Amino acid sequence: MASEDTSPSHSHHRDSIKSSVGNTAANRRRQQAISIGKERREALIRAKRLCRDSIFDDDDNEKGLDEGEMVIDEEQSVLNARTAQTVQELKSSLSYQGKDATQKTIEALRALRKLLSKSEVPPIEAAIQGGAVPLLVQCLSFGSADEQLLEAAWCVTNIAAGGPEETKSLLPALPLLIAHLGEKSSVHVAEQCAWALGNVAGEDMELRSILFAQGALLSLTRLMLSNRESTARTAAWALSNLIKGPDPKAANELIRIEAITDTIVKHLKTADEELVTEVAWVVVYLSALSDKAISILVRSDVVPVLVNRLVGSESLQLLIPVLRSLGNLVAADAYITHSILIVGNDITDQVLYGLIKCLKSEHRVLKKEALWVLSNIAAGTLEHKTLIFSSEAVPLLIDLLSAAPFEIRKEAAYTLGNICVGPTKGSDNKSDIIVTHLVPLVKGGCLPGFVNLVRSADVESARVGLIFLELVMRGYPNGEGPKLVEREDGIDAMERFQFHENQEMRNVANALVDKYFGADYGV
Amino acid sequence: MDSMDSSVASPDLGLALGFPFWVASRRRFKPDDPFFASGNLERELLAKHVALDLTEDERFQLQRMEIADANLFCPIAGCGARLEYLEEFEDHYNTRHMASCSVCFRVYPTSRLLSIHISEVHDSFFQAKVARGFPMYECLVEGCGAKLKSYKSRQRHLIDKHRFPSNFEFYKKAHPSKHQRQKLQRKAYKGGDAKDQESFMDLDAKKESKQTRPKHYRPQQEVKTGTERESEMEVETKLHHPQTTETKVVTNCEAKNEKAKAETEMEVEERIEDIVSGISKLSTVDASSPSSVSFGHRHSRGFAFVPRSVRNQNQISKREQTRKP
Repeated sequence: MASEDTSPSHSHHRDSIKSSVGNTAANRRRQQAISIGKERREALIRAKRLCRDSIFDDDDNEKGLDEGEMVIDEEQSVLNARTAQTVQELKSSLSYQGKDATQKTIEALRALRKLLSKSEVPPIEAAIQGGAVPLLVQCLSFGSADEQLLEAAWCVTNIAAGGPEETKSLLPALPLLIAHLGEKSSVHVAEQCAWALGNVAGEDMELRSILFAQGALLSLTRLMLSNRESTARTAAWALSNLIKGPDPKAANELIRIEAITDTIVKHLKTADEELVTEVAWVVVYLSALSDKAISILVRSDVVPVLVNRLVGSESLQLLIPVLRSLGNLVAADAYITHSILIVGNDITDQVLYGLIKCLKSEHRVLKKEALWVLSNIAAGTLEHKTLIFSSEAVPLLIDLLSAAPFEIRKEAAYTLGNICVGPTKGSDNKSDIIVTHLVPLVKGGCLPGFVNLVRSADVESARVGLIFLELVMRGYPNGEGPKLVEREDGIDAMERFQFHENQEMRNVANALVDKYFGADYGV
Repeated sequence: MDSMDSSVASPDLGLALGFPFWVASRRRFKPDDPFFASGNLERELLAKHVALDLTEDERFQLQRMEIADANLFCPIAGCGARLEYLEEFEDHYNTRHMASCSVCFRVYPTSRLLSIHISEVHDSFFQAKVARGFPMYECLVEGCGAKLKSYKSRQRHLIDKHRFPSNFEFYKKAHPSKHQRQKLQRKAYKGGDAKDQESFMDLDAKKESKQTRPKHYRPQQEVKTGTERESEMEVETKLHHPQTTETKVVTNCEAKNEKAKAETEMEVEERIEDIVSGISKLSTVDASSPSSVSFGHRHSRGFAFVPRSVRNQNQISKREQTRKP
């Protein structure tokens, strides 16, 4: 069944229970996804997208050919040989001087394109080694027929979906791709070129820098203004790859483009959830990298619109960037919690509702990042803490602190701790403890979860746990704190640090044990 | 992450560098921070439409590739064991770092430290040699090999030669509260099978002898070279403990037999020796080779490797003791 599968197979019992319904090509693709070899894994993780189908429906060229999902179904070596041959055909058609030269070229391109788009594992390397890149560059020259440009750009798109070496081999093609984004180009050509550029930008910072230097930013932004949703979507995705950094220069440049904020708001309001998703990712990177962008975005309509989508959507794909955008904005600028998410405003209740919805979801990412946002809101004013404390978030928080996967527990811990600690400091320079929050939370059973964190191998979590225990031991009324901590085996947990390699942890834990469980304890 | 970096000077907690009291502040992450890794991965999977085709296992594989707790190591000093993922730590800790003293239930992270403890605290032979001026206190750092004449000078050696913090105490006082907890745990294990009585009949004889010569009994079992020694009795280590302010504790050794029932939580820590003297022989083997034992639930940490029969004997012996005139 999977004999022609060249990827190292981790396949196991899956083969036998695989459904035989549906066409074999789809099954094969599913099976490919199932047995994840290292190569496949990397391909899945990459910020690249293979273009398997035509970007527009009215593709007459495809009619008459019942291709189904996947046609090319061959041994890799056969595929490679075919690819090399196709490249040769392309080469000869380009040097052909006769009257059908263009048509021949287009046919050769199409054949190559099909090999690169209809195969399970596109023969990218074979194409490159066969010398495809210079030929494709030639095909992209100005004045070429639209169809030729389209097919060539499509080939480049899929070559750019490969690994680092393969993508870098496309350097000669970049300026042409950028040029064809222009407003004079056919919209299909422009979109396909945007896709290719998106893949190139998705590779690494070096290529992003090159593209930025070559002027890709402005052109892609202009394309994002398109009324065609698929074009706007592709352009937005490519843009998000271009500005994702870690160098913030592209993000900083983007926010300076005049119409950008309005465009973003407009797109965030559309019905097309996929477009909203891609544009939200642009906001994610703008808000993560550019402080200028943050101050502009928070004063625009972006926040209310994001909140709306947070509340209204059920799509995981959309919620991730929307949630994260809000998270970045809240984390970076106190303006949001102080001026927009004022307690009492409708939008604030909405945000809380939306975050709680994420907490209840089954998706780890949503839970974790929602907790992060919540923890940052809980770091706001006293009113914010009280708002969260009185909401249905608290039982969820305690539950997540106790039972969720590790990284979620940590975030829940931050949130709960922030709820108990005031924004003001006392004369001893320690933050005020909000006893009216602390006591119910402890009674609600949050201590075991914190003690558990103290036991973690992760130093940051252990620290969070220890510091919360300190709050309890210091701030719980009637000096009951230490006893409560002891009951949950807190002393054992802290004593572990006696032999911890981290000096700060040793000191902190020892100091706590000595102070609260010293010679006088229990006397 | 700027949440809790600002340490506040706190003389009350005795920390020179200041204690990092909780400060409620916002946390911001860069876009390539590992915090966002799983969300980024999710984005790519969803976009490629393979998300639904993957099993939980495969997803987990992918996440591991992306997030890679690759640099996760056990944080216990001197261990350095590589941990595949965080959840593994607890098991690792329980198997490798719970060398527990059967006499006083102190827990050490390595069997070597445990055996050093046992020698120094529960072995009269050790104390005898110290009294005669032999350098018996080993340096705690493996491979150093230095031996010092007193606890204090060993302490100094650690601080001077190995840069240990000045507040490091190898012999940390067990907390009275700990004793209280252990009492409660022992109560929880009361009552066993009748047939178990037979298995420890032999021990009674030994126990009897021990009770009459509490300070000088030495086990007959083979003593392994250097690193492992067994002991029955706890010796009055208070005499050697530099920090003692509780001299009244010193005299309690024999009085403890009678006081066993009457004891309440006090500042005295080391009074368990005669209660468990009968079992220490059985369980010391476990105590000195912890890696071969899998320890149970941490709440009964000190008891995890003590067979129930022996524990029961412990209860009976206690009762017997109190009946003695």
